[in-house]
Amino acid sequence: MRKSALVGWLLLAPSLVLLGGLVVFPVLYNIWLSLFDKHAFMPVQAFVGLKHYRYFASDPEFWTSFYYGSVYAGVTMVLQLGVGVPAALLLNEGFRGRNLLRGVVLFPYMIPTIVAVILWKWLLNDSYGLVNHLLMNAGLARPVAWLGPDYIMASLIVTSVWQFFPFVVVTYLARLQTIPPELYEAATVDGASAWRRFLHVTLPQTASVLFVIVLLRSIWMFTKFDTVWLMAGDGGVSRYIRTLPVYAYARSFTYLQAGMGAALAVIMFVMLLAATAVYFRLFRSDEVFS
Amino acid sequence: MKHAPAPSSRVSRRRFLAGTGAAIGAAAFGRAPAAIGQQVRELQVWHTEVEPQTVKIIQDTTIAEFERKFPGFKVKQQALGWGDLNTKLLASLSAGNPPDLTHLNPFMTASLYTKGLLRPMDELIRALGENDIHEATRKLQYFDGKYYGVTHAMGATYFCERRDLREKKGLKTPETYDDMLKLAAALTEEGRYAFQMPGEKLYMGFVHPAEWMASNGGSWVDLKTWRPQLNSKSMLETLDYLQKLNKFQSQGWSGQKYLDTQAALATGKISMSYLSGARAIGYIEKYAPENMRDPEHFMPMLRPRGPSGKVGISALDGENWAVFSQSKYPTESFEFLRIFYKKENYMQYCHSVPIHLSPIFKSMLGDPAYLANERIKKWKAWHDVMMTGLSKGSFLPLGFSRPEDNLLPFLAELDGSSIVADMVVEVMVGGKNPKAEADRAQKRSEELLTQLGHKRWS
Repeated sequence: MRKSALVGWLLLAPSLVLLGGLVVFPVLYNIWLSLFDKHAFMPVQAFVGLKHYRYFASDPEFWTSFYYGSVYAGVTMVLQLGVGVPAALLLNEGFRGRNLLRGVVLFPYMIPTIVAVILWKWLLNDSYGLVNHLLMNAGLARPVAWLGPDYIMASLIVTSVWQFFPFVVVTYLARLQTIPPELYEAATVDGASAWRRFLHVTLPQTASVLFVIVLLRSIWMFTKFDTVWLMAGDGGVSRYIRTLPVYAYARSFTYLQAGMGAALAVIMFVMLLAATAVYFRLFRSDEVFS
Repeated sequence: MKHAPAPSSRVSRRRFLAGTGAAIGAAAFGRAPAAIGQQVRELQVWHTEVEPQTVKIIQDTTIAEFERKFPGFKVKQQALGWGDLNTKLLASLSAGNPPDLTHLNPFMTASLYTKGLLRPMDELIRALGENDIHEATRKLQYFDGKYYGVTHAMGATYFCERRDLREKKGLKTPETYDDMLKLAAALTEEGRYAFQMPGEKLYMGFVHPAEWMASNGGSWVDLKTWRPQLNSKSMLETLDYLQKLNKFQSQGWSGQKYLDTQAALATGKISMSYLSGARAIGYIEKYAPENMRDPEHFMPMLRPRGPSGKVGISALDGENWAVFSQSKYPTESFEFLRIFYKKENYMQYCHSVPIHLSPIFKSMLGDPAYLANERIKKWKAWHDVMMTGLSKGSFLPLGFSRPEDNLLPFLAELDGSSIVADMVVEVMVGGKNPKAEADRAQKRSEELLTQLGHKRWS
């Protein structure tokens, strides 16, 4: 018995070493780093305990970033669902060209983020962008500064929703395809309309996948860095979309305060952990996962 | 069951392996002797001149000569974008593996010097001709009686204006902020804005604010106490001016980039690009209407001064070469620089982007051989503006609000912090109250300097 346990541990060892080295160690190191005043590159550091956490509690920049990050994550998540779920329902129906459309809809998710952002910035540019060109042809008097402070968040949200809604489509569609057709046939025999079939068959059947989509997309959008940074990271207008990941990056690599950047990362981690716990408590039910 | 014998035309596995082994062996032993008996040493050189023709010139002149002179060495040059340089350099320093020789932004040099990371280069400076190096750059990296850097070339920054449009209105180039506002109002026409600033925070949040303060009698910090001066009279007057000036440019400017402004100027969408240099000539020659690609239509314009300033200040783009104390081959690095600055090599280097790469040597600036370059001849008026600015003391290095800023070891952090950029955007685009925003920036910058351990005030 003891020998077989040893063999078991030995077999597990590579995974444990990998997990420890690639997941646990970085997290612990980050927590440790957040307790130091550490320059990003120079070998200069001093232990400061919880000073950074106290600082951020009253730092207006932190709260502004938290606000922008929450707005960005919340709105993009809702819109991705709003676009992705109907698209998946549509692609679950039988029609000519469905297979082609299923491939095309994945396109935004497949292209590199840098390409997606450059494409949208080009479209939205107020000097030579196609969007303003079309709007002005339609009678708009002056070009809209889509990349200026008033609209930069909206532009970022549109870009992000366009880029990430295919994930919702693919995931939701995969679940839709596993719903037994007998359920719909029975509902139809009972006289249920299309809306009722969606409400009483499709929605309960897909609740588990919706639960996971909302969870994952919320976490991913709240921690999204590349799209936000590429949209305006090095620009003056970045002030209006400076989400928490961007602020953490800035503290680490442009303010060169690695300790403070690490503290922000820990704060985000704790926030997401708490939000996930609340989410599970509120919405998870055993029936959903049975 | 027997296998059928392989046809004679096929290559057996043993033969294949033997042949491959022989080929690899021949390749290994057939290489230059350096690969076997003599270790090839690599001199890592990083710089910020990314234009392909400049990279090629460096390769064909300095590097070729260096490698002839030092047969055991290979030089690996890496041209880095301006914005990437600092981060990559600091990362390489942190990893203990910096390049042997590199360009540095002058506002970085003091920070590295104070940490003991740079080697002095007095001998090299004397060999190059200390007194022949232009005063605008000579002592930028001069600390405690020693030189720690030498500028690779000088390139002035300024407005680039549509001279023809201004002259049509009968207006002179602006001397003061008020003149500039009048000019901007006059040049705003249907379908064309008067000007456009670059939206990158490096420029609108660091390079230009330094110019504004220098042009209006201000400075980043108090010289003695290092207390930030972001809510000083000088800055408040400037913010007031900027708020007025902002009406004459596209409201989307803060989301656009430097190159967008060059394109907008060349294609007639604006009358002045706020940040320009001789590199703009390339854009003009490529994108402006053919009959307008000349100094009669496009001219540099130096910065105006504020109500509290004496002279308008423009930034001088000119990184310095530096050799790190961790450099593996310091002697060879200095030798590389001697070859780089040899007249025949250096002249070609400067001619690779004419006027933008103006020589640092006074003797060369007026040298007929230098001025004989076709583009310099055509755009001589641009060269003359640069010479005028140099003689009038209208230039300071990028990010400097006064010459003594070369001693400040925190300008890179201030630039990276976005504090000044946020203030400028809130005032210019957000229309917020200048005093309130300046006070906020002041508080944030005081906090930053305190956190970085540079607080000297009580």
